[in-house]
Amino acid sequence: MVFGMTMDATLASHLQELRRGTGVVASLTVQRTPGYGYSLLETLSAAGFEVEANTLYPLLRRLETQGLLTSSWNTDDARPRKFYRTTEQGDAIAAALRTEWTRLDHAVTDLDGPSADHPSTTSGSPA
Amino acid sequence: MTTLIDRYVFTALRRVPEKQRADIDRELRAAIDDAVEARVAGGEPHQAATENALLELGDPERLADGYAGGPRYLIGPELFGIWRRLLVFLFSVVLPIVVVVAVVLKVLDDAAIGPIIGTAVSTVITTGAHLAFWSTAIFAVLERTGVARTDLRGGPWTLDHLPRYEPGSLTAGQLVPTVLWPVLLIVALILQQFTFSTVPALDPANWSFWWPFLIAVLLGECAYAVWVFRRATWTHAVTAINAVLAVLFAAPIIWLASTDRFFNPEFVAGIDWGSADPLSWLGGIVIAIAAVGAIWDIVEVAVRAERARRGIPAEAPGTVLRGCA
Repeated sequence: MVFGMTMDATLASHLQELRRGTGVVASLTVQRTPGYGYSLLETLSAAGFEVEANTLYPLLRRLETQGLLTSSWNTDDARPRKFYRTTEQGDAIAAALRTEWTRLDHAVTDLDGPSADHPSTTSGSPA
Repeated sequence: MTTLIDRYVFTALRRVPEKQRADIDRELRAAIDDAVEARVAGGEPHQAATENALLELGDPERLADGYAGGPRYLIGPELFGIWRRLLVFLFSVVLPIVVVVAVVLKVLDDAAIGPIIGTAVSTVITTGAHLAFWSTAIFAVLERTGVARTDLRGGPWTLDHLPRYEPGSLTAGQLVPTVLWPVLLIVALILQQFTFSTVPALDPANWSFWWPFLIAVLLGECAYAVWVFRRATWTHAVTAINAVLAVLFAAPIIWLASTDRFFNPEFVAGIDWGSADPLSWLGGIVIAIAAVGAIWDIVEVAVRAERARRGIPAEAPGTVLRGCA
């Protein structure tokens, strides 16, 4: 039982590490169409991202100070909302991050695949 | 009256700089209202929807951490190792020296045994607190001014920074104190005769033989340290020579102290410790320090030499060889 619980905790912490940067990629990608905090949260959770509101809202402001997002207040609706939009620079960074994500995905898949796919390991020692 | 949402927002914004507060306040309220609205649309009563929306948003302190930015720690992983090494050095080298000096000054001040122990204890506490506080404060400032490990090292890491784990080899950092201690003892031995007090603390009669003999042994310790340093390995010969030197130094001191010939009788007569007999106290302390020091020294070097013989790597100073895990 204790073993199971520690395994759960270990898995949770590794998953958290793995997901750490995904909020940035996802936010910068989604916000190419301007949107506000809650709408982004809805979009991301519908898309299957495990992003929590209390990390997402500060993240949006951090990306703004880094110049990857711009914001403006939209007062057309009854409720004024702060709309964020990905900048050119933010789009470039998101593209680079997505490329890296794809590369990692391929790399992990290759590692996990059958060993016959790895000429380096099969052509190794004759013994 | 403050609403639940007011209380939540105020708590989340407490640490946010004044300039950004109004903007975040407005944005956060809009986001909470959106969440509540979505829940009400899903069929929840308004009060429950508000409570659940805030519960989902979670601990406002965490939100405040996110908004506040900046490190939420005093010393980060980048500088922690250097900070810990500095503290270990300060507590194992600087603190004992300060305490010994304070106690010696107190003894020379003809204090009673009580105040001397009091001085030792209070020096440990106050000096220890100062050492820990100021070094930690300096590192916290370094952390916040963006000083990196490479800056403290004075350049990027190179292979020359690797410690030498050759069993028993003495590093330059170890050589300095091993040479410095005997020199300091010689200086103290000579100076006590002339400067520290009007009456020398140690028996001047021993200048005929024993004090010069001890100075010669201490000079031998210096030569021995340099010899071990240049040899770069510790063998049983090193163990033997070290043991001989330790015995040559400790045995006369123990013998002199146990026959009441270590301290100057005139000096002891000038000490008033009330009911306590200063001579037996001082003699006991000297015998204990000399005996424990000698045994410690002999055993430590013997263990090192044995490790060297078996080829077990030794810990280099300032590193932890086998990790913390």
